[in-house]
Amino acid sequence: MDAVTVLAEINGNIATVGYGLAAIGPAIGVGIVVGKTIEGVARQPELAGRLQVLMYIGIAFTEALAFIGIATYFIFV
Amino acid sequence: MSTAPSTQPTSIPVFRQVLVYGGILALAIALIGMVVGGLTVGGVGVLSALIGTLMAVVFMGITAASILLANRYAGNENSIGAFFGIVMGGWLLKFIVFLVLLLLLKDQPWIHPLVLFLSIIAGVLGSLVVDAIVLFKSRMPYASDVVLPPAPHDD
Repeated sequence: MDAVTVLAEINGNIATVGYGLAAIGPAIGVGIVVGKTIEGVARQPELAGRLQVLMYIGIAFTEALAFIGIATYFIFV
Repeated sequence: MSTAPSTQPTSIPVFRQVLVYGGILALAIALIGMVVGGLTVGGVGVLSALIGTLMAVVFMGITAASILLANRYAGNENSIGAFFGIVMGGWLLKFIVFLVLLLLLKDQPWIHPLVLFLSIIAGVLGSLVVDAIVLFKSRMPYASDVVLPPAPHDD
């Protein structure tokens, strides 16, 4: 069975791929933001407050993409 | 008389402000969305706009709320682990609940998908704007979380 036939046999809702794509990017982004914050707090614990605020704005902007992506998947299918 | 030094991070008032202004913005967006949804689609549009705005603002606010909750454990031995466990656990839980809610709401006859979607986008973007404004206007001292050793006694 060649590759084209295998691809043609895939069935189900293609929008699940959309959910996956909507989840990958923000997950990597939030992982980087949080990881870097851990590094910063480990080096300078007294800066925890400022780093938390910067981490929060990073997470907020990154997760906005995920919310819109996941909502798009459900609304337009 | 000496008081124990505070081990609470300086970010707590900022996150409280984010939550308060986010709530005020949610009311404004919900009102506008309900009026627009009601004029264009009818009663279904009003309900969809209300639910969409609430979902967006509540789910965006959970991050700030989880950081506030995690800061209660500041100063403990495992505070960093607890902090990131609570914040990232809250993030994961939030997305699971968001997915389940959208699955449940998708085929309901009392939901207008386009109005719901636009309300979610308005709520998410609006709360981002509020977050950015609050954070840029916040004044946080450097290194105020540090615990200094007590002054030596001259006796």
